Amino acid sequence: MINWRTALLPPALAIIFAMLLSSVALLISGANPLEAFATMGAQLFHGNTAVSTVNLAIVYYLAGLAAAIGFQMNVFNIGVEGQYRFAAVVAAIVGAWMELPPVLHVIAILVVAMFSGALYALLPALLKVYRGVSEVITTIMLNSIVFGIVAFLINPEQFGVLHGNNLSTAEIAPSGRIPGIPLGEAGTLFGFIVIAGALGYGYWFMLTRTRFGFELKASGESKTAAAAGGVSARKMTLAAMLLSGAVAGLVAMPELLGRDYVYAMTATQGYGFTGLAVALLGRNHPAGIAFGALLWAFLDRSAVSLESIGIPSEIATIMQGTIVLSVVVAYEIVRRADLAAEQRRVGRAGRNGQPAGVAEGGAV
Amino acid sequence: MAGVLAMAGCAKDSGGDGNQAAGEGGGGEPGSCVTNEAPAAPEGNGEEQTTEHGDIDASDHKIGLAFDVGGRGDASFNDAAAAGVDRAVEDFGAEKGSESPAAGSESEAAKEQRLRQMAEQGNNPIIAVGFAYAEAVGKVAPQYPDTEFALVDDNSVDEKNVTPLVFAEEEGSFLAGVAAAYKTSECQVGFVGGVQTPLIQKFQAGFEQGVKAAGGDNIEVKSEYLTPAGDISGFNDPAKANVKSKSMISQGSDVLFHAAGASGQGVFEAAAEGDALGIGVDSDQYKQKTLADVKDVIVTSMLKKVDVAVYDYIAAVADGNPDDLPERFDLSVDGVGYSKSNPDIEDITEELEGYKKAIVDGDVEVSETPEG
Amino acid sequence: MTEPEPVVELTGITKRFPGVVANSDVHLTVRAGEVHAVCGENGAGKSTLMKILYGMQQPDEGTISVGGQVVELRNPQDAIRAGIGMVHQHFMLADNLTVRENVLLGAEGRHGMGRKARAELTKLAERTGLHADPDTLVENLGVADRQRVEIVKVLYRGARIVILDEPTAVLVPQEVDALFETVREMRSDGYTFIFISHKLDEVRSIADEVTVIRRGTTVGTVDPATVTSRELAEMMVGSELPSPETRESTVTDRPVLRISGLRLDADDSERAVLDDVSLTVRAGEILGIAGVEGNGQTELVETVMGMRKASAGTVELASGDGELRDITRLGTLARREAGIGYIAEDRHRHGLLLRQPLWSNRILGYQTRKPVSNGRLIDPGAARRDTERVVEEYDVRTPGVEVLAGALSGGNQQKLIVGRELSGEPVLLIAAHPTRGVDVGAQALIWEQMRAARHDGLAVLLVSADLDELIGLSDTIRVMLRGRLVSEADPATVTPTELGSAMTGAGEEAA
Repeated sequence: MINWRTALLPPALAIIFAMLLSSVALLISGANPLEAFATMGAQLFHGNTAVSTVNLAIVYYLAGLAAAIGFQMNVFNIGVEGQYRFAAVVAAIVGAWMELPPVLHVIAILVVAMFSGALYALLPALLKVYRGVSEVITTIMLNSIVFGIVAFLINPEQFGVLHGNNLSTAEIAPSGRIPGIPLGEAGTLFGFIVIAGALGYGYWFMLTRTRFGFELKASGESKTAAAAGGVSARKMTLAAMLLSGAVAGLVAMPELLGRDYVYAMTATQGYGFTGLAVALLGRNHPAGIAFGALLWAFLDRSAVSLESIGIPSEIATIMQGTIVLSVVVAYEIVRRADLAAEQRRVGRAGRNGQPAGVAEGGAV
Repeated sequence: MAGVLAMAGCAKDSGGDGNQAAGEGGGGEPGSCVTNEAPAAPEGNGEEQTTEHGDIDASDHKIGLAFDVGGRGDASFNDAAAAGVDRAVEDFGAEKGSESPAAGSESEAAKEQRLRQMAEQGNNPIIAVGFAYAEAVGKVAPQYPDTEFALVDDNSVDEKNVTPLVFAEEEGSFLAGVAAAYKTSECQVGFVGGVQTPLIQKFQAGFEQGVKAAGGDNIEVKSEYLTPAGDISGFNDPAKANVKSKSMISQGSDVLFHAAGASGQGVFEAAAEGDALGIGVDSDQYKQKTLADVKDVIVTSMLKKVDVAVYDYIAAVADGNPDDLPERFDLSVDGVGYSKSNPDIEDITEELEGYKKAIVDGDVEVSETPEG
Repeated sequence: MTEPEPVVELTGITKRFPGVVANSDVHLTVRAGEVHAVCGENGAGKSTLMKILYGMQQPDEGTISVGGQVVELRNPQDAIRAGIGMVHQHFMLADNLTVRENVLLGAEGRHGMGRKARAELTKLAERTGLHADPDTLVENLGVADRQRVEIVKVLYRGARIVILDEPTAVLVPQEVDALFETVREMRSDGYTFIFISHKLDEVRSIADEVTVIRRGTTVGTVDPATVTSRELAEMMVGSELPSPETRESTVTDRPVLRISGLRLDADDSERAVLDDVSLTVRAGEILGIAGVEGNGQTELVETVMGMRKASAGTVELASGDGELRDITRLGTLARREAGIGYIAEDRHRHGLLLRQPLWSNRILGYQTRKPVSNGRLIDPGAARRDTERVVEEYDVRTPGVEVLAGALSGGNQQKLIVGRELSGEPVLLIAAHPTRGVDVGAQALIWEQMRAARHDGLAVLLVSADLDELIGLSDTIRVMLRGRLVSEADPATVTPTELGSAMTGAGEEAA
C-alpha cells in the first residue's frame, strides 16, 4: 500500500505520545526530560552504542518477521520465544559437533536451526489444525517447557560444558561462524545483517509476489472467502505456523554465530516476546518491522545510557509499552478515518453520487 | 477420648527406632541422629579473624558497581557486594561511583555497554557481581587496561586487570550440613536450591557431604530445586519455595537449608509453620530485617562473605596489589563460614569448629559437585 | 370484533450501514395477543429489524413504541424491561449447565434462587410444554427441548412479547407442529409473538397477520387467511422488476456439468441435506434451481464447488475437448482451474477480501492462472491492469483499483465479482443469488453479462430466490425441496404462481 499517511502517521503519533507520557513520568520522579532525551540521542554518537543497537535490532528483526508471518495468517505465535531458544540450543550443539568446510558449516547450522524452530512449532500447529486448540495456549506451554529442555541439554552430563560457574554448549569451530563487519572504533556489525536483509526481502517478495503469500494473506483475512477461492485454511495455518517457527529458529543465530559461538545458561531470553511487539509496531510490513526493531533496540540501549545520569531505566520500558499501545490505537483510528474517506470518495465516483442502497432496488 | 489416645500413639510412633528421646513432644533429641564423632575443635574456639588493613587511602578511587539481576535490596549477594563497597567508602575514603542493576532479561550487549559506560566515566575499580558478567568483562577489560575489574563468582576470565572473587561455597555449606545433622530429630533434612546451576549445586554438594560426615547413612537428605538452569525466577519466587518446603517438611524433613536468594523467605515461613528449622545463606539471615518475623527458626546461616571479598579487593587495589588476594575465598581465609548470632547454635559450635579445622587443615576434603 | 390495541409499533425505521441501507422506512404494528409473522427473503432486512426491536442495534431514524409509550431501546436489557424477549435462531444456552441454571442465570433478581424460582420455572415449563427435568444438563436435550428452554428463559425474564427468529429452521415437521400448538396455547394466555420466517406455508398456518419485508422496507401487511401463498411469494420476491427475459434458445446438446446421485449428509447427523440430486447443464444453457431457502441449494452449490465433500454421487465437468471428467475428488482450486466460475451467495463471506484493494480481489480464486499469475508468482501489474479492464467493462463505479473492496457499494462489489468470474474463460458459471441486495442498475448489467456469456456457450447453474430472475434467465428450471430435486418447469410457460406452489411442495408438479 502506498498510502504514506496511513503508514507513517500512526507511529509518529505514538512516539510523540510516548515521549509526552514518559516526560510526565520523568518530571514526577524529579528528573529533567530534556536531559534524558538528550542522553538517549547522544548515545548513538558514543562509543559503539550505535553498532550494538543495530546488532540488537537484527535479532529483533528476525523475531519480528517470525511473529509477522503468523499474524498474516491470523495465527498468534507467542511461541517464537520457545522456538528460538529450542532452535538455538539444538543448533549450537549440532554446530559444535559438526565438522564441515567454512561456508557449508554455517549453512548446515542455519538449516538445523530453521528445522528445529519449525519442529517446535509443529505440535501447536497440528493441534490447532486438527483439534482446534488455540495456538496461544499451546505455545505458551511450550515456552515454559523449553526451560527444561535447554537446562537438560546444556547439562555437562549431556552436551554441556562448564566454564567458571556458567554452563553452555561446546564452542562452534571457526568454520561455522559468520564473520562480522568491522567498523573500527565503533565495533563490529553482525555479518548476519546480510542474511536478515535477504530474509526481509524474501518475506516481502513472498507476500506480494508469490501465490503462496497471496493465499496466506487471503486466508488470514477471510477463511471463508479464501476457501471459496480454493485456498485451504488448514494448509495455510499449518504452513504459517511452521514458517514462523523456522524463522524464529534463526533469531538467536546472529549472536550464536557472530559473537558467542556457544549457547549458555545465561543467554538472553525474551527476544520472542519482543518480536511480537516489533511486528505489531511494524504492521507486519518488512520495512515497518525493521523500523520497529531499530526503535525497540534503541530504547533498550537507552535504558543503560539513562543509568549513567541516574535516571531509572524503567523510563525506557514505559516508553516501549506506551508506543506499542498507542501505535495500535492510532492505526485503528487512522484506518477507520481512511475507510470512511474512501467510501465518500467511492460515493462521489458513482454517477449517481451515492452508494446505492438496497432500497433503491425497485421495490414496490 | 479416642483422639487423645490416638495422639499419644502418634507421639510414640514418631519417637523412632527405640531411641530414648521419645518422651519429648513428638521428636527425638537434637543430635540423636548423629552417628560420627566430630573432629576436635581447635583451642581458643571461634574467634573471628578479620584482616587488618592498616592506613589505606582509596580516595582517588571511584568505585563502579554493576549488579546482577535484583540489584541493591535483594537481601542476598548484590546487597553483600554493596555493603562491602559502603564499608570501603567509609574506611578508605573511596568515592562511590556508578551503581546499576541489570534488567531481568537484558542482552549481553547491555552488560558490555554498562561496563564500558562505567569505565568511561572514570570508575576504577569496577566490580561486576555475578558470573553472568563473565563474558562482558572478558570483552571490555582488555579495552580499558588502566581500569581494574573484579568479577564475583567467576574465575574463567584470564585478563591482567581482572580479579576473580570466587568462594568455596561447598565448604561453608558443609558446615551447614553438619549443623543440620546435629539439629534434626527426624533424621531427615532438606536442601532447597533456587536454580539448578553449577554454582548452586556447590551448596548442595557441600551440604550433603556435611550431613553425611556427621550422620553417615542415618540421615537422609532431600534436595530440590525450584527451577531449571536458565530460568532465574527460582531466585525470586518465595511462594514456590514455600510450597516445596512445606511438602518436604510433611515428608519428614525438619531442617531445611536454602540457597535460593529471595525465595528463601518462603522456606523459612514454611519452617516456622511446620515446626522445623531453617538455615540461611550468603549473609547472616537471622539478623535480616525482612525476616524478623521468622528469625527464630533460622538456626544459623551459611556465610558467603562477598562483602568481605569486595572490601578486601578495594583495599588491595588501593594498595596496588590486587594479585595478592586469595585465589579463592574459602574457610581458611574466612571467605565462607557460618553465623552464630542465633543462640540456639551455641550447643553445637564446638562440633562445627572441629569440622572447620579439619577442612582448613585438609583432613576433610569437600567436593564441589553433588553425587549422582 | 374490535381490534386490540397495538403493543408494538415501529414507525419509519431506517438503518444504514456503510455502503448499504439495511432498513428503510419500515412500519410494523403488532397487536396484543396475536402471532404476527414478518416475512421476507434472506437479506431483506428482517434480522436487522429484529435486532433494532431487541435493542441490539439503534435505528438511525424512526421510533419504537411499546404499549403506547415511545421507548428507546439501547440494549437488550432495555428491551427485556419493556417486556420484549427474543429466541435466537442459534440458541444461547450453556450446554454444561442444567435447564434450571440456564433459565436462572442472570435473572436471579426476579424470583431468587429458591423455592419461588422453582415454582415459577415449573409453571412456565408447563405452559411451554417443556417436559425435561429442570436438573438435566442442556447438552442432553434435543433441539426442540432446547428451543423450549430458550422460550422459558425469555418468559422467566418477564417477556410478554416474544420474538421467534426462524424457529422452525432447526425442527423436523412433527416438532414444528408441536411448537405451533404451544404458540397457539400461549397466544390464548395473552402472549404476543413476532414470528420471523420465509417459509410461506408455516406463516400461513400460524400467523394472524403477516408483514412482508422486501429489500429493506415493508411491502405491506396482510391477513394470511385471505391471501394465497402465491400472493405472499409475489410480495416477497416482487414481480415488477426489470425483466430478465432471455428467449431464443442457445442451448446445445453438449453437457458441461453432470451431477449424478449426489448426496450430502448433515455434519451432525445421518440426515441428508442433499439426497440423490442428479442434473445436467449443457453448454449455452442456464439451469435455474428454484426453492425456498434452506432446502439444500447452498449445500448443492458448495458441494459442486468442492467446499463440501459429497457423501455419495459424482460430479463431472467437461474438459477442453468436451469430454466429461470426474471432478468429485478434486479440491476447490482444481475445480476452479478446470473452468468453474463462482458467484457466491454471500459476497462478503465468500466472494471478497474486504480489506484488500480491488486488484487483489481480482486474484482471489485465480491465483494460479494468467494473466494475474503464472502458477507460483503473482503479477500485481497485470492484476491491476486486468482489474481496470473489469472495472471498465462491468461498470464498477470506483475511483480506482487501489480502493479497498469493502468501500464499494453492494452492487459494485457484485459487478466486480461477476466480472472476475467471467474473466477466467469458464465453461461453467455457478451463480448463487447473483443480484441479491444490488441496485436495479447493477442487476440489469449482471443479467446482461450472464446472457452474453450464455450466448458464447457458457453453461450456468443459477440458484435464485427471485422467481422473476429464475423464469426470465433460465432455459430449464428444477425445483428443490428438502434436499431433493422434486420437479421441473419450463420457464417459457410457467408462472411465478405455479413455481411458488411447487417450491412449497403444496401444489401439483408444475408442467
